[in-house]
Amino acid sequence: MATIDLEAVAKSFGPVHVLEPVDLQIRSGEFVVLVGPSGCGKSTLLRMIAGLEEASSGDIRIAGERVNEVPPKDRNIAMVFQSYALYPHMTVAQNMSYSLKLRKTAKERIAEAVKGAAETLGLSKLTERRPRALSGGQRQRVAMGRAIVRRPQAFLFDEPLSNLDARLREQMRAEIKKLHARLGATSIYVTHDQIEAMTLADRIVALDAGKIQQIGTPLDLYQRPANRFVAGFIGSPAMNFVSGTYRAAAAGRPVHLQADHAALPVPDLDRPDGHAVTVGIRPEHVLVEPGDAPGTIGCGVELVEPTGMGTIVHLRLGDVALKAYRPGYTEWTAGQRVHVRLPREHMHIFDEASGARIEPAGSGRSPGLSEWPAATKLD
Amino acid sequence: MTAIGHTGIEPGRLPARRRWATRLEPYLYAAPAVILIATIMLVPLVIGISYAFRDIRLLNPFSGGFVGLDQFVKLASDDDFRLALGNTVFWTGTSVILQFTFGLILALLLNRPFAGRGIAQALVFLPWAVPSFLSGLDWAWLFNPVVGPIPHWLTGLGLMEEPFNILADPDLAMWGPIVANVWWGIPFFAITLLAALQSIPRDIYEAASIDGAGALERFRSITLPFLAPTIAITILLRTVWIANFADLIVVMTNGGPADRTQIVASYIFTTAFRRLDFGYASAIAMVLLALLMIYSLLLVALRQTLLNRS
Repeated sequence: MATIDLEAVAKSFGPVHVLEPVDLQIRSGEFVVLVGPSGCGKSTLLRMIAGLEEASSGDIRIAGERVNEVPPKDRNIAMVFQSYALYPHMTVAQNMSYSLKLRKTAKERIAEAVKGAAETLGLSKLTERRPRALSGGQRQRVAMGRAIVRRPQAFLFDEPLSNLDARLREQMRAEIKKLHARLGATSIYVTHDQIEAMTLADRIVALDAGKIQQIGTPLDLYQRPANRFVAGFIGSPAMNFVSGTYRAAAAGRPVHLQADHAALPVPDLDRPDGHAVTVGIRPEHVLVEPGDAPGTIGCGVELVEPTGMGTIVHLRLGDVALKAYRPGYTEWTAGQRVHVRLPREHMHIFDEASGARIEPAGSGRSPGLSEWPAATKLD
Repeated sequence: MTAIGHTGIEPGRLPARRRWATRLEPYLYAAPAVILIATIMLVPLVIGISYAFRDIRLLNPFSGGFVGLDQFVKLASDDDFRLALGNTVFWTGTSVILQFTFGLILALLLNRPFAGRGIAQALVFLPWAVPSFLSGLDWAWLFNPVVGPIPHWLTGLGLMEEPFNILADPDLAMWGPIVANVWWGIPFFAITLLAALQSIPRDIYEAASIDGAGALERFRSITLPFLAPTIAITILLRTVWIANFADLIVVMTNGGPADRTQIVASYIFTTAFRRLDFGYASAIAMVLLALLMIYSLLLVALRQTLLNRS
């Protein structure tokens, strides 16, 4: 297992910068997930670490050694591809043993490694089959097997689960996590699925438009998103955003919402009167109340989506769509008028212009780890 | 769906004429193609084969009678035919191997991106568009020391003592048409192999390079297995094609000197259209047909096993 260090690694095609300089230190044995929408540069970054793509500038170090000019075959890393990229003319066993054979490993050692990997992944009965005769999930396992037989310095995963159906994806996600716990291998995992990022990662690197937006633990990103992009990308259903103007001069220093000019009590901000802000709040923190209590805002219920585990209530506040999530079932129905309360301790305030997070005045942190489970006190 | 669906009448209860029409329907649809193939391919083939058993000489008004296997018996002891058969194997084998090798190299070069690839591809495929007669004539001139540069270049390189026409040298003459044929036939392999190369998913190469395979190893363990079915079918096609391809030889050497470049196809051509002995020419053609069919069946079987394996 090895550390991977990126120093100002950037990629551009001519004048087009697909990836701004990235600095990232990955500890030995760490599971890092690169997450972001398609085209954000996450796959490019992974492919540069693999050596499949050349870095335009910066240094890539694996186990302390600069590898920019080292071809992929000599980097001793394994990669699982989105398409699995299995060799169609080789059996499962041959697919898995190919790299060992190229390294002139002893036959007994190869057989042992393939057998071990096949057992771990539940492929023992399929080793003589060709990829063509396997299901998507089995192919995915073979691709994983091909990576683990090698005992590489690091594992790279390029959206390995995105070709599987939802049920299988969930299952493989858990298996990857268990596998990582067992092997303790340095892993870099690229995905556009924030659930995969949240569940698998020791640390998440959120990317957008070729720039790192935030690096942190899954809960860091969830609870203290560094900007509007991260806030909107992490979490499902996604965070609600309403635009407004901070009224430092008014009583209670509220934010006047653009939607219906309601005054929304917010934490004190270190910003001048009239500063344009975006208020974000996660659906599970939006409280829906029947009565017109003080501090609530009137909304119409547009749609109710029961998911079994909970219910997503789509609300409309002027021209702003809001979502509320509550566990279990709700009595609300579409067309109803309700009142919502947006608790200020769960608010995330962002600068309207830059999208950057604005911390409440006086505190270094807004809702911290200890307060987080409070989200469940909805009813 | 036929009328059954509309009327709801059980098939057994349909009137006889209706039943016949239903039964004939698929044959009627296939009929135009079958008739076309029969008239333009099968009928001439059968007539051609029938010539092999008849004595048909255009200049002899009394010929035309049935002679049974006489012409095949004569063929069995025909030294010219045996020489032509040997020449055919050399001509076909050398041409196919060289065309394939250069075609593959060209396809591999054209498969990697470089500036001006579009133009290069177009230029590479140009020889294919030149009529074989014309390219034969061109190459014959190129080899001619009076008008062509090649003998002078070879002399300059020290490969020839003095400029002479290799087409006139019994030991070297066959290389003339072979060079022309290779030049002319490379694009065929380049086109088909390039198409096959482009269908190989790029990430398989990437996976292999991450698995530790260098360029040569990737070629051996990925490119070749992926190309194998295409290689088998193109080599099959080209072999049959080239074995039957007399144009260049007729134009460049006319089978000479001393029959050293006479292949079976040009021998058939000479027998039929110079000696006007259609019967004997048909008999030779039948033997060539039989040999090529045996060869094709072998290669198709080989390809099938390759396909089943992958």
